Amino acid sequence: MINRIADIGRGGLNLIEAYGKAGILLYRILFRWPRITKNFYYVVQQIFAEGVLSLSIIVVSGLFIGMVLALQGHHTLVKFGASMELGPLVALSVLRELGPVVTAILFAGRAGSALAAEIGLMKATDQLSSMEMMAVDPIARIVSPRLWGGFISLPLLTLIFNVTAIYGAWMIGVQWLGFDSGAFWSNMQSSVDFHVDVVNGIWKSVVFGFVVTLIAVYQGYFAEPTSAGIARATTRTVVYGSLAVLALDFVLTAMMIGGW
Amino acid sequence: MDSLIKIDNLHFNRNGRAIFTGVNIEIPRGKIVAIMGPSGTGKTTLLRLIGGQLRPLSGQVSVDGNIIHRLSQAELYRVRRQMGMLFQTGGLFTHLSVFENVAFPLREHTQLTESMIRTIVLMKLQMVGLRGARHLMPSELSGGMARRVALARAIALDPDLIMYDEPFTGQDPISMGVLVRLIRDLNKTLGLTTIIVSHDVPDTLSIADYVYVISGGNVIGAGTPDELQKNDSGELAQFLHGNSDGPVAFHYPAPDLATDFIELSEGNSNL
Ligand SMILES: Nc1ncnc2c1ncn2[C@@H]1O[C@H](COP(=O)(O)OP(=O)(O)OP(=O)(O)O)[C@@H](O)[C@H]1O
Ligand SMILES: [Mg+2]
Repeated sequence: MINRIADIGRGGLNLIEAYGKAGILLYRILFRWPRITKNFYYVVQQIFAEGVLSLSIIVVSGLFIGMVLALQGHHTLVKFGASMELGPLVALSVLRELGPVVTAILFAGRAGSALAAEIGLMKATDQLSSMEMMAVDPIARIVSPRLWGGFISLPLLTLIFNVTAIYGAWMIGVQWLGFDSGAFWSNMQSSVDFHVDVVNGIWKSVVFGFVVTLIAVYQGYFAEPTSAGIARATTRTVVYGSLAVLALDFVLTAMMIGGW
Repeated sequence: MDSLIKIDNLHFNRNGRAIFTGVNIEIPRGKIVAIMGPSGTGKTTLLRLIGGQLRPLSGQVSVDGNIIHRLSQAELYRVRRQMGMLFQTGGLFTHLSVFENVAFPLREHTQLTESMIRTIVLMKLQMVGLRGARHLMPSELSGGMARRVALARAIALDPDLIMYDEPFTGQDPISMGVLVRLIRDLNKTLGLTTIIVSHDVPDTLSIADYVYVISGGNVIGAGTPDELQKNDSGELAQFLHGNSDGPVAFHYPAPDLATDFIELSEGNSNL
């Protein structure tokens, strides 16, 4: 009994410690950023590594999700005689929910795990230590550009996902099921609000980008410097990253719909 | 004697196990000082304490008059620019080529033009005999080559102090000879204060001006190589001559053998 209480206490303390360490890491990333011009180059490099290299998976997933959504949507809408609403259905579900959430989860799997493994391995092979001994701060030089790279990439990837998903739905709806293309677009246009639907979706992806990348660099930077430790760090990045995205999605949606 | 590094009554623990219990060491400016001792006594740890990557439990390490653990990060980084350190594992950046690895500190800390960087990098690589390997990636190097590249990188900024952690492991007799000569030349021509951590008794004694032997958390012997070789106190002589029997324990602390085996046979071991 006492042991169980002690376990709960220990778990709680570990959790608080993890938040504290993440907070300190974040502070050091944000407030010790020397030579912005030089780091700009590294941020661009990371946007390439995290964003551009994730493009293919984002585009392919977006296309398929849009196509499936169109088929399923059509199947259901027909029953209510509302098949003309296919465009709005797809656009709203992609822009408001699926785009930001699915992109963030894919991003955690593709870029987040790579980040955690890369930073963890640099730590395990003394690369971070030797950088410190050369008077170069690994947080400014390695961790910070990676966090900014992810923060900038994810919203852009989300936009691209949105576009390809809607394109996929258009292919199914118009090319295959034979809807009128004009009606598809104009129905969509009249029911999608730029601020409420598009911008709010992007806001979500901004938050997700920040959280997922922070989890990834945190897991990498504090990984135990062994092969098992790095394996754990990558797994945790994907698991915690995805869970954080889903939980935050609920909170953000509640805030947006509740009009806070 | 003018000391660059002064270590005063240093105590340090790792996971509750004492690594140093009151170590005093002085490293004179411009000399080659060797730190020797059995594996696992904390030689690498000592270098990390000097470099400010670890904090002492008590006591202090001062480099050029700066007490390392009291410095702010900016001050610490200023002091570290004058230090080069060769890690036991090399610590090369695996995403950069040999050339870029050596150029890294130059690009980070100087405003030199590309052609000057190239000249310096090739000069440093020439010193370690790897000018021709500049296009290779670290994964394409052997262990001994990687250490030599790391050495070239450590001296790229012409530091005042250089710390070598086991520079001789993994070197064949030829490159070993070259390295010994290189370490001595860097010391003589540039007046580079040098700390060498090594197990290799003959080679280390041949280049060191002064030697500290640590074991069991303390300095067990110090002096010039000649003085040490004359000293035949148990621990020191055992280490220098590599005898397995003697006061220095070869085993990591453990319960005595009989107890361990009895536990095993009774099936209550937690292994
Ligand atoms: N990261 C660490 N966490 C916990 N203990 C450690 C860590 N690194 C080293 N130690 C312990 O500290 C002691 C000293 O280690 P250190 O690496 O300084 O030894 P060393 O003298 O350099 O040995 P070697 O000659 O084999 O390189 C060892 O007993 C080791 O168990
Ligand atoms: Mg060592």
